[in-house]
Amino acid sequence: MDAIRTEDLTKKYELGWHKGRLLALDKLNLRVHEGEVYGLLGPNGSGKSTTLKLILDLILPTEGSAWVFDVPCRKVSSRLHVGFLPENPYFYRYLTGTETLEFFGKLCGMGGVGLRRRIEELLELVGLQHARNRRLGGYSKGMLQRIGLAQALIHDPKLLLLDEPTAGVDPIGSKDIRDLILRLKGMGKTVLLSSHLLAQVQDVCDRIGVLNLGQLIMEGDVKTLISDQRRLSITVQDLPEAARTRVEEAVRAAGATVISVDHPQTSLESLFLDALKRDQRGAGQHD
Amino acid sequence: MTELANHRGETTPSPTEVQTPRPAFAPVLKERVGFSVSRVWIIAGNTLTEAVRQKVFNFFLIIGLIFIASASFFAQFTFGEQLKFIKDTCLGVISVISTLIAIVGTAQLLPSEVENRTIYTILAKPVRRIEFLLGKFLGSLSLLTISIAAMCLLFGAVLFIKEQGMIRELRQEFTQGMPASDMADLNQQIRQVPQETFDVNLVKAVLAELMKATLVAAITLLISTFSTSLVFNVAVPFMIFVAGMLRGAAAEVWADRRILMALLAVVPDFGFFSLADEINMGNVVPWSHVGQILVYGVARTVVIVFAAHLIFSRREI
Repeated sequence: MDAIRTEDLTKKYELGWHKGRLLALDKLNLRVHEGEVYGLLGPNGSGKSTTLKLILDLILPTEGSAWVFDVPCRKVSSRLHVGFLPENPYFYRYLTGTETLEFFGKLCGMGGVGLRRRIEELLELVGLQHARNRRLGGYSKGMLQRIGLAQALIHDPKLLLLDEPTAGVDPIGSKDIRDLILRLKGMGKTVLLSSHLLAQVQDVCDRIGVLNLGQLIMEGDVKTLISDQRRLSITVQDLPEAARTRVEEAVRAAGATVISVDHPQTSLESLFLDALKRDQRGAGQHD
Repeated sequence: MTELANHRGETTPSPTEVQTPRPAFAPVLKERVGFSVSRVWIIAGNTLTEAVRQKVFNFFLIIGLIFIASASFFAQFTFGEQLKFIKDTCLGVISVISTLIAIVGTAQLLPSEVENRTIYTILAKPVRRIEFLLGKFLGSLSLLTISIAAMCLLFGAVLFIKEQGMIRELRQEFTQGMPASDMADLNQQIRQVPQETFDVNLVKAVLAELMKATLVAAITLLISTFSTSLVFNVAVPFMIFVAGMLRGAAAEVWADRRILMALLAVVPDFGFFSLADEINMGNVVPWSHVGQILVYGVARTVVIVFAAHLIFSRREI
C-alpha cells in the first residue's frame, strides 16, 4: 500500500476577474511508498506546497485525485495518520509549549495521562523542556519549528508531511531536524519532505521527485540519480607518494583514465559544527 | 533536541544504528471520523482563551463596567428616577458593548486563522471544517456570555447598593419619630424597594440582548467566511445591525416601496430584541414574548451559521 498516491492531480488557481487561471500543478502522478523518505524538490512556485495542501484537503483539486493510505484525501479520515509541519509554522502566540501540544493532542482524541506522557516525550525529543511554560510569542524561529514538529508527531502518525522544515533554521537546528527525520525513518514512518535545499534532501531521502512549473520532471532513487556509474572514487589515508604513483600507473595500465587526484574536502556544515563542538562555551545555549 | 544534541558534530547516524523506542503512548484512533462535539468544545475553549489573553475585549468590557458603575453617581434624581436611570443606562451599555464584542470578536476569528496560518495545522488533523467553524462561533459566544454576565453582576451590585441606600434612608426617617399613620406607609415603601429594584423583567431584557448579540455574531461569522478584510468584516455586520434596528421605522415610512421592503425583509429585526423601553414604561414583559424572541433569534442564527458552513466548507485555504 502506498502512503500517498496521486493520479493526474491538477490545480489551477483563479487569478481574479478576467485574469485567467494559473496552472500550479499539472497532472501529478506521485507514489510515496510506506516507510520511505521522499523528497519533493523544486524552486519557489514549482507546486510543492500546493501538492501538500491538496493532500491535506486544504484546497480542492481542479482535476485528478489523491489518496493517503488508500483513503481519498477529501475524507477527514485520510488525515488520521498524518502529521503536518507547515512552512514557517505559526501557532497561537498566547499558548505555552505544553498548552499547544495539549490542544493538538486533544484534537486528535488524546487525553489524560497518555497525553501528558506523550507531551513529555515530545518536549524531550525536540529539546524544549526548558521552554515548556513559555508562551509561543516568545519563541525563536528555531523553537517554533521544533514545537511544530512536536505537534505533527503528537498522535504518533504513520505519515509526516514536512514543508520546508529547515527554512530559517540555523545549521545546528537544521542538522537536528535532519537527524530527527532519520530517526523517524528508523521508526518506520513515511516522510514526504518538501524542500529546495538539495544537500539536505540528499542526506535523508530515499527517493526524490523534482517539480518545476507544476510538472514532475524527474523522479527516482537518490543514490542512483546522483551516482556516476562510469567513475569510481577511492579514498585512502596515509598513502606514500611512491605508492600513489604505482596506483596511478596501475590504473592507466588497466586502460582507465585518472581524472583527478586531490584531498577530499569536508563540508562547510561539518566544519561549522566541529568548530562549535570544540568551543564549549556556548554548549546548550542555542535554541 | 536532547538526544539528538549528543550526536551534534558527529557523523549522522544511519537509521539502523539509531535505537528509537516506540512512544510509550500509541493513541487508538478510529478509522471513521464522525462529527465530534468534543472537538468543537476544544476549539471553542481555545478561542475563548485567545480572546481573554489578547486583552482587546477586556478593553470593551472595562469600558462597559466603568459606564455601569458610574450610573449610580447621578444622585440629583428621586429614588424612582435614579432606578429608572440606572436600569436604562445599564441595559443600554450591555446592548452596545455586547454588540461591539459580537462584531469585533467574531470578525477577526477566521481571517486571523488564515492570515497567521494557524488554521493549517488544525485542519491537517482529523478535524471537520464544521467543527472548526462551530468551535470558533461557540468560543465567541462564550466570550459574549461571560462579558454580559460580568456586566450583569456589576449591574446587580449597583442596584443592590442603591437599594440598601434607599432602605437606610427610609429607616432613618422611621427612627426620627413619625406619626403612626405615616409609619405604616413607610413600612410599605421599604417593602416595595426590593421589588422595584430587582425586576424580573431585567433578566428577560438581558436574555434578549444576549440573543441579539448571538445573531450579530452569526452574521459577522457569515461575512468572515468569504471576506478576508477586517474592515469589511466589521463594517458590513455593523451596517446590517443598524438597518435591522431601523427596520420597524422604515417599514412605516417606506411601506409602498416594495424592493426596499424586500431587501429589508432579509435583515433581522433587531428592534424586536429591545425590551428596555417596555421596562422603563413599567410594562410587564410576558415570558411568552421572551420565548418568541429566542425562537426568532435561534432560528435566524441556525440558518446563518448553516450558510456560513456551506461557504466555509468549499473555501480554499
